Amino acid sequence: MPEYKGMVQPVRATLEEMRKIHIEPVPDELKPEKAIEYLDQIRKKFRSFVMAMESCTKCGQCAENCHTYLGTRDPNNIPTNRAELIRKIYKRYFTLEGRWFGKLVGAEDISLDVIEQWYSYFYQCSQCRRCAHVCPFGIDTCEVTFIGRQLLHWLGITPKLHASVGAAMERVGNHTNLPKPGIVDTLEFMSEEIMDEFGVEVEFPVDKPDSDIMYIPSSADFLLNPYTLMGAGMFFTYIGANWTIPSTVTEAGNFGLLFDQYWTQRGNVMRLLNAAQELGIKKIVWGECGHGWRAAKMYIPSLADRPVRWPIVHIHDEIANMIRNKELKLDPSKNSKPVTLHDPCNYVRACGLNENMRTIIRAVTTDFREMTPHGMDNFCCGGGSAILFDDPEMYQRRILLSQKKAEQVRATGVGKNGDGILCAPCSICKAQLYPMVEEHELGVEVKGLVDLVGKALVWK
Amino acid sequence: MKLLIGQILPYITVTLFTLGILYRLGRWAGARIIHNITLSPWLQTNGQVAVRIGSEAFLFRNLFRFDLALWAGAFLMHFALLNVLGGHIVGFGFLGEQFALIPGLGISPELSKEMSNLLGTTFGILLFLCLLYLLIRRLTLTKVKQVTKPSDNLWLIYLLVLVGVGDIMRLFEQSFGVEYQLVRDYIVALALFKPVVGMELLNNGFFLVHFLLVQILLIVFPFSKLMHLFGMFAERWIVNRVYKDPAPGLPNVDVAAARAAGIGLPSDAAEEGV
Repeated sequence: MPEYKGMVQPVRATLEEMRKIHIEPVPDELKPEKAIEYLDQIRKKFRSFVMAMESCTKCGQCAENCHTYLGTRDPNNIPTNRAELIRKIYKRYFTLEGRWFGKLVGAEDISLDVIEQWYSYFYQCSQCRRCAHVCPFGIDTCEVTFIGRQLLHWLGITPKLHASVGAAMERVGNHTNLPKPGIVDTLEFMSEEIMDEFGVEVEFPVDKPDSDIMYIPSSADFLLNPYTLMGAGMFFTYIGANWTIPSTVTEAGNFGLLFDQYWTQRGNVMRLLNAAQELGIKKIVWGECGHGWRAAKMYIPSLADRPVRWPIVHIHDEIANMIRNKELKLDPSKNSKPVTLHDPCNYVRACGLNENMRTIIRAVTTDFREMTPHGMDNFCCGGGSAILFDDPEMYQRRILLSQKKAEQVRATGVGKNGDGILCAPCSICKAQLYPMVEEHELGVEVKGLVDLVGKALVWK
Repeated sequence: MKLLIGQILPYITVTLFTLGILYRLGRWAGARIIHNITLSPWLQTNGQVAVRIGSEAFLFRNLFRFDLALWAGAFLMHFALLNVLGGHIVGFGFLGEQFALIPGLGISPELSKEMSNLLGTTFGILLFLCLLYLLIRRLTLTKVKQVTKPSDNLWLIYLLVLVGVGDIMRLFEQSFGVEYQLVRDYIVALALFKPVVGMELLNNGFFLVHFLLVQILLIVFPFSKLMHLFGMFAERWIVNRVYKDPAPGLPNVDVAAARAAGIGLPSDAAEEGV
């Protein structure tokens, strides 16, 4: 169902697919009533949500600061209006002003149409938090769409993409349905590639007991972004680390954050903690994945069901630290093409990776150019929160959502000669930007940051 | 009618205002901060948090950074409002002679009254103009029109009337103004639950309307968007807090030793390297 009353919508998971992720969809005629029931439960728990519902003054500042609105000019894609889709219901059922003054304050009765609106617009939000960053009050629309998507999930409305990823994660421990033999094969192949291309011997230990470091790569790095994983392998080998990749969690991402922060997200956290315990490791190092890093860094402490004994750090943190300590010998001339950095939203607004990414990129490239704006003010690539839908209508939306990013890249001039590099160290950014740099004809190649580090390492 | 507005309603107003605010704050406090959603780059000390929240709340930092035109209107409006409210308290409290009480300046009570009048008039007019500016903004800018609900405009109109009436009393003091002494005695009597004096104040139609509008505003305040006064701090308290990264450094890693041993180099190349 790509459209509903003129609204674009992602293809939905089928009944079977919903059951696989432990949800029994609510029949349509009961959906409105159940939606109110679930909303009532959840609003009493999350203050971030209550404040988003109750303290907006509609000043309009978020509008021009949202890449979704800039790209589509759809009023419902203005962050406060997107939140209003649920706020109008919240007001109507849970506030005095809404009950007394109704339409005057924008309150509205629940209906199936409203739920369909939620599905359309909450899955056009990239949950990039730029609106929270610019809002005078700090209201986080991301918290609203998280909860909106949670309600939809409980009602049985989840995009096919997200549901299938949730199921794959539960089945094999990654999003791409890659089983352990496939993982081992791919890694062996990567070792050969590294030998051929860089002339160094790199092994990727899988499930090695008594390792010191457990590295969690993004599963997309096995197939789509091999140089990121190869770069990580080269880095760990270079520093002589006793490291391993757990076959049960070959996934830095956690789609639970994006559609089901209860069962799915928590389940993935437990899976990770089990793997860490079984392998007897000392520290967990995270690979390049924006939402996944946020889920790991900021949510594991509040989702874990036991004390977390392992510090969890990002590979960029460690590389930057070693660069500052002058422990790595790097040759930036190995990456001499013009480079610009796309800041993954979750890194810069939710995980504080801002400076470390720059420490690295300045050390491994010769022609680094900043975008405007950048860092915490950066715009999303348009794929944030995995709205990477492939059906034709949604794909057209993705092109619109990446428009702002395309303008930014073009303004840096890195792609002028068609040989620029757009460094986007996040699997979702990469997946969005691979096709989008073609659609917008930007003349750049999309790469991760660890890719560039791997290339720049000087081995002797 | 005058008895109702002048002697009964004030008690109802104060009660509903207080209880209403407690109700709303209780509602907010009842829900928890479940996950850590603080915005990065991280603030490192509580001092930094105070500065951040303070600069957002009192200087409107984000509006300044991202929308200067809105900042100008919103900041001046709130700044004027703060001064007008403060002016009501000290102006009536000290009968306009407040500046004469500041030691060392040598301001006479007469000069103080004039200063008080001038400041009150200035901020009153500024407040009115800013409200008007914000209303025009709501009615003309597409993006703001698209997010505006009828109540948003009604609030601005309501405040314009309320402030406008106040301004008329200031600007045409001879004809429509009130005597400070009377107002002070009236309020003091109300506050101390004493028999009310100064009811003749309410014969002034402008004062009656101004006073009534203020009371209605205070009654509705806790249930309306005006609660953003408190929402500001409650929301900022969620997204602006101290966070410290875990220490970097990988266990049992000695890069110098690893490089000296030539780890990763094919065996023949390693020998060459040594």
